[in-house]
Amino acid sequence: MAGDAALSRRGIAKWLAHLALLPASALMLIPFYWLLKTSLTGENLFVYPPRVWPDDPNLFHFVDVWYAVPFIRYLWNSVLVSALAVVSNVVLNAMAGYALAQGFRGQRGIVLLLLSSMMIPFQVTVVPAYLITRELGLLNSHLGMALPLSSTIVCIFLFKASFSAIPRSLTEAARIDGMSEWRIIREIHLPLSKAAVATNVVLAFVWSWNSFLWPLLVARDQQMQTLPLGLAAFLSVVEDTSGALYAFCVMVLMPGLLVFLMAQRHFIAGLTAGATKG
Amino acid sequence: MTAATRKMQRVSTAFSRYRPWLPWVMLAPALAIFIAYRLAPLFWNMVLSVQHWSMFQAPTFAGLYHYRELFLYDDTLRQSFENTLIYLASSPIAIAIAFALALLLDRPLRARGLYRAIFFISYPVMTVVVAVIWLWLFHEKVGLVNHVLLSTGIVGKPLHFLQDDQLALGAVIVASMWQVIGLYMIILLTGLQSIPATLKQAAASDGAGPWQRFRHITLPLMRPSIFLCVVVAIVNSFAAFDLVYVMTDGGPGHASEMMITYIYDVAFSLGRFDYAAALTIFNFAFFMMLAWFANRMAGGDAGGGDGR
Amino acid sequence: MSFLVTICACSSDSAPPRTLYVLTFNMPHMEAEFSLWAKEFRRLHPGFDVQQIDRKGSNWAAYYHTQVIAGTAPDIIDTQGAIWLQYASQGGLLDLSRYLERDRDFTNQFYPELIESWRYGGKNYGVPLYFTKTLLFYNKQMFKEAGLTQPPRSFAELMSHARKLAGTGRYGFMTLNFDWLYWPLFAMNDIRLVTPDCKRAAFNTPAARMLIEELAAATAEGIISPTSWTGRWVEPNGMFAAGNVGMFNAHSTALLWIMSNAQWVNEGSVGFAQMPGDWSVPNAHALHISASTRYPEQAWDFIKIVTQGSGALAFGKKLNSPTGNRVVNAQLREYFAQTNPMVLDVLGTQFEYLDRMVANWPLARDTEIKHAFYPEIQSAILGNKSAADALASAERKVNHILSRPGGIPEDCG
Repeated sequence: MAGDAALSRRGIAKWLAHLALLPASALMLIPFYWLLKTSLTGENLFVYPPRVWPDDPNLFHFVDVWYAVPFIRYLWNSVLVSALAVVSNVVLNAMAGYALAQGFRGQRGIVLLLLSSMMIPFQVTVVPAYLITRELGLLNSHLGMALPLSSTIVCIFLFKASFSAIPRSLTEAARIDGMSEWRIIREIHLPLSKAAVATNVVLAFVWSWNSFLWPLLVARDQQMQTLPLGLAAFLSVVEDTSGALYAFCVMVLMPGLLVFLMAQRHFIAGLTAGATKG
Repeated sequence: MTAATRKMQRVSTAFSRYRPWLPWVMLAPALAIFIAYRLAPLFWNMVLSVQHWSMFQAPTFAGLYHYRELFLYDDTLRQSFENTLIYLASSPIAIAIAFALALLLDRPLRARGLYRAIFFISYPVMTVVVAVIWLWLFHEKVGLVNHVLLSTGIVGKPLHFLQDDQLALGAVIVASMWQVIGLYMIILLTGLQSIPATLKQAAASDGAGPWQRFRHITLPLMRPSIFLCVVVAIVNSFAAFDLVYVMTDGGPGHASEMMITYIYDVAFSLGRFDYAAALTIFNFAFFMMLAWFANRMAGGDAGGGDGR
Repeated sequence: MSFLVTICACSSDSAPPRTLYVLTFNMPHMEAEFSLWAKEFRRLHPGFDVQQIDRKGSNWAAYYHTQVIAGTAPDIIDTQGAIWLQYASQGGLLDLSRYLERDRDFTNQFYPELIESWRYGGKNYGVPLYFTKTLLFYNKQMFKEAGLTQPPRSFAELMSHARKLAGTGRYGFMTLNFDWLYWPLFAMNDIRLVTPDCKRAAFNTPAARMLIEELAAATAEGIISPTSWTGRWVEPNGMFAAGNVGMFNAHSTALLWIMSNAQWVNEGSVGFAQMPGDWSVPNAHALHISASTRYPEQAWDFIKIVTQGSGALAFGKKLNSPTGNRVVNAQLREYFAQTNPMVLDVLGTQFEYLDRMVANWPLARDTEIKHAFYPEIQSAILGNKSAADALASAERKVNHILSRPGGIPEDCG
């Protein structure tokens, strides 16, 4: 019957999808496995041909890293910088997005300004940025490292899209009730934009977590260095010849993956707002 | 007009009419950050690009000296620019692959959430770690890639990916695709999922085949998502800095040098900030053109300039 | 009135110490030695302090350049190789000639050739910190197996030795490639980088073409390790340490790294000699004072603490390296005789044939020239380009760099 045919077609389609998705998933995950395997292997890294399973697995490389590198210190610095960046991102971007969503004269110019700012890569701004940071007295500080990353244009537009989707009547009613704009943002718009907030959190986190060149210039003492710096320094000392390097990478991955897994659901929902309205 | 309506009208314009400074106050912090950390530096670069400046002495006027150097004498620039173009040209490929994956996932599969997570998980990984992982995978002796290629007989001798003129840039591109494809996929998948099923059903019952449905319904509605992917691709190309820096350092020679790493090299290894400034302006102009072009392709006002 | 003076005197006592900053080049494990020097410095100059900032080689320039632009250049910098030339030519470094003249007793402790090494445009800019230059190290076991008894004494012999030593998983010859360390290969084939007046490139010759073609062929055949041309530091040293390479052109610092990573390395297992023609490339470190420093006298005193007497001795012992100071080196020799005789023998070679040092042209744009020259040569040796094309391209680029004003001192060559 027609209904059965349609059902079985759907069934076949599902199997075909799995058939394509499984190898693709494997391709995505294999690099992680390979990293993990290398960090756990007890034998010489350069034995040929490379083994698929770790030979004599142990945690020696991890211990090596622990003693060679002030991992907790680096982690703490990275976490602090990222926390500052994330919090300021949510606050600044929400405010800016709200202003854009409500509309005002001169808006078009601002939007163009922001869009063109996106085309300026960070690396070419470091010297003036360094000078400004110095004037502010923020060199060699967590705030100094977080400041250039404390607002992102993509996220401003995400908030704008999300806020624009909130019915005007709701906002008007709140105004009539005498709520200040700040309270409106805090108590009405933000709670309704959980997805945008989550997106903001994840993107701001990823971009500040990754930040390598800026802390390189701003962090003078070894005490202030962040994880990417520590990792790059470690890499230049051992090149690719030490299992400890790979153990370091595994240790560096953990926090990032954790944040992702926690924010995953909201983040993915958040991209809906950006994708369809953007 | 009733009193209530008039009051509503008054209040509804309250945001910008009676307190015209309010939107600016809200924008101010974010704007301050961009002015300080993006626009002022751009201006600094513009001024510097027409000056001669050694780090230790006051600058002197140079006119178009650096731009002449840039256009007439700089081989490395040509190569970096080509490489950057190649790198950017790989984004449509990555976006297309991500689109295919999104299409596959756009159905009620039980493991969909799991698949989504698997594909996305490479994005939050620190770029330096991505670089180290792929550095190791592409190792000429014990890398997995060579192992697979040799075992399956595709090549007879191991390939020195990162030391090879032709392959080094490709290796960096593969690493970057692996990192970002999950992000594209998620963006595209959510775009797909927001297309009302009723539209597709209506078209199907009108006799439209799957390909026609795709071309006339799905694609047009996916324009904003695709545009977002393109924007991400452009911004992401700047992040290639970390990958190149760690994996190949621009090498061998300048085979994997990108504009962004070349500018950094000129400024911070050679100390030629004046020339680097000219390169920066050149790079900026190029990306502005690219963004303008992408905006046109996406159908116009991507940022939504009318306060929708 | 005297009451006010007393108050002022009190407040200057409790004023924070004026700190001098010393930017070192890849010297991370020197905290103990540095605090020794700092203590001596504080004793000599009460009210002053000194602090070390260390940066890895790849990050050193980025950090230094940023500091200079921000107006906070470190008072004292430690440079490696030829990077100091650029800063000297642009007026970033203090002319030390006056101090060297004034403190003759101090200056006379150093090898005159080394003091000369840091001269630019008739002025002295650096005080030698430590000194190392290239040698040819060879694996005696591999030599025996290949039936070789003597290290090579000509380029032809070098290549034929390499052919005999190479085998499966083994290479006959390898070299380090940063900072011109491979240049002895060119020198022994009579190839010069620039003309005697330093104004034009002089390396695009048939001899250079033949050399590159031969190196390319040998690398393709597996006689010369490709890591020679693509490796940085750990990789090539690691290969020699693993016993896979017959001959290795590297500086003495490399040998020390290898010795600390391979137990089998000793006088019986590893030999060393000058490269054919006795050519060598120096890769030394020197201390300089920034022109913008507010405390030149104090900075000079700190430099003296580090480069002579017990300060320098502690440094040499820690680094297992000779300093530029003859007096200190004599003491180091005694020390190494007891602790590490092989090191002693190697270090003896470091001060021979100082007149046969090459690749030490006083070109302010040395770094740029290196960036223009090496990638081309590397490309040709790895088989990605013909030698003729690579040389022509390099020549064009180098000539362009040399034509820009301000890069060549009057007394060049």
